[in-house]
Amino acid sequence: MAFQTPFKFTLDNYSSVISQNGMGRSFLNSLIITIPGTVIPILVASFAGFAFAWMKFPGRNFLFIFLVALIVVPIQATLIPVLRLLADAHLVGTFPGIWLAHTAYGLPFAIFLLTSFFGSLPKELLESAYLDGASNMRVFFRLILPLSVPAIASLAIFQFLWVWNDLLVALVYLQTPSKAPMTLTISNLVSSYGTQWQLLTAAAFISMILPLIVFFALQRYFVEGITAGAVKG
Amino acid sequence: MAEVRFENVNKRFGQTIAVKDFNLEIPDKEFVVLVGPSGCGKTTVLRLLSGLEEPDEGKIYIGQRLINNVPPRDRDIAMVFQSYALYPHMSVHDNMAFGLSLRKTPKPEIERRVKEAARILGIEELLKRKPRQLSGGQRQRVALGRAIVREPAAFLLDEPLSNLDAKLRVQTRAELSKLHQRLGTTFIYVTHDQVEAMTMATVIAVMNKGILQQVGKPQYLYERPVNVFVAGFIGSPAMNFFDVTVKGNQDGLYLDAGTFQVPVPVERDGILHKYLDKKIIFGIRPEDISSPKYIAPGIIASPIRAKVDVTELMGNEFYLHLLTGDTPFLARVDARTEARPGQDIELVFNMAKMHAFDAETEITLSPVDT
Repeated sequence: MAFQTPFKFTLDNYSSVISQNGMGRSFLNSLIITIPGTVIPILVASFAGFAFAWMKFPGRNFLFIFLVALIVVPIQATLIPVLRLLADAHLVGTFPGIWLAHTAYGLPFAIFLLTSFFGSLPKELLESAYLDGASNMRVFFRLILPLSVPAIASLAIFQFLWVWNDLLVALVYLQTPSKAPMTLTISNLVSSYGTQWQLLTAAAFISMILPLIVFFALQRYFVEGITAGAVKG
Repeated sequence: MAEVRFENVNKRFGQTIAVKDFNLEIPDKEFVVLVGPSGCGKTTVLRLLSGLEEPDEGKIYIGQRLINNVPPRDRDIAMVFQSYALYPHMSVHDNMAFGLSLRKTPKPEIERRVKEAARILGIEELLKRKPRQLSGGQRQRVALGRAIVREPAAFLLDEPLSNLDAKLRVQTRAELSKLHQRLGTTFIYVTHDQVEAMTMATVIAVMNKGILQQVGKPQYLYERPVNVFVAGFIGSPAMNFFDVTVKGNQDGLYLDAGTFQVPVPVERDGILHKYLDKKIIFGIRPEDISSPKYIAPGIIASPIRAKVDVTELMGNEFYLHLLTGDTPFLARVDARTEARPGQDIELVFNMAKMHAFDAETEITLSPVDT
């Protein structure tokens, strides 16, 4: 019958995609875009989360609600204004420009998540540290961060996946073929290689590998009960 | 080592007055227990002393130093929280060493203090464990150890026994008393349990609704409560109160409760003459009511009759829940007493231990040192 498929395992498609279509370069670009695009928002959001959760300052509530409400804003509405801003700062087509963009897009949710997690830590734990003589920085680095590993791990996975799989932001703000991440390169492959499914699927699989690795690596940090034993019951 | 002094301290949370016109002097080396019902302000007083809250008015001194604006870590106090607040990601050893390492104490000194505290508390084998691997009693000792290594001028303890089971609580009470004797440092201890106050304190301060009611040695508060609140709070089971009228006849004064009358001993009747034909509150403790068959020598016995409502045999004592008319009261009598629910029995009040309070102000009518 006509449905017999010659069945042969081969890695040719992978090698051709990687060497000939610049997939190796794109993989590197994706890394260069994604890793700072994950680390920077988490750093900024964790400082912000600590301040919102545990420090008193005027305008705290208003600022918090304002920042979290920004989750509602659709990315498409920001494309042109942000592009203009980046152009004025000569950051279009540069990696720092795209790091800033991803940080800005990721912060509202990250701040929301970390503020509520930090706020759920027992107040007496922090008071005990203050009485022991810890300054705010000490409390942050030696107490809050170690105890927040589950929240930060989930945020890291979430942000990593979002930035790694992003096409729109890279398309609009990067605009330089040599700096294109994998998403951009694969979408170009579709237009140039149309129905060559073997290349497209191989490329897609390469694009998936890293997030899978990241996910499984960080998954063990989702341990409940990190704070079990600190407080009675 | 230093005394602690509160002068006219006030603290509000929004509209609620948590602590009102609070004046207290705590001499050095005392074990002071702040006791009172929930919401009376005792934990607020402790937090004001620790620096976790700031007073709205008033001054607080440790030694001669005014500490109103001194941050908590510079006040030379150590606090043990009700929930222990151990750092969950650190070992027991690191929990205890944390405060010292923050103050850049040299490592050999840290080790010495941690080992010494662990030895005193009997937790030397637990030094490498994490808090989640410890039992409640062990965690509590680690919390104590963390405070001990700081060698502070005063220990502040916020209801540290409330999360322990009853048996462990009794055991730990004795250990805390011993610890206080051994360390010779001021202990300031907050609890709602008057048994803890009576057994451990050298000085008790009773609070209610933000106001300090009475301060003194446990025995003194027990024998000479300054008002109805302290009289009913200290001592378990609580003192019985009756609304009575002071009356007089040719033998002297007596108290008329309607359903019973009891004579006032001559040595107690001084001020009560001013209340002739007026209503007062008469108080008598359950342990000062006995069965006529088993009276201890040296009491001034006044007989009354009452109806038995419920009986509780405690083993060494018999608690009788009684009714006189509609008024319930409680007596602790000898375990051999015969009493059954529904029965009318004869009892004897020891009027040498009577308490009398003004019906309106609820202040005691017996002489009291302030």
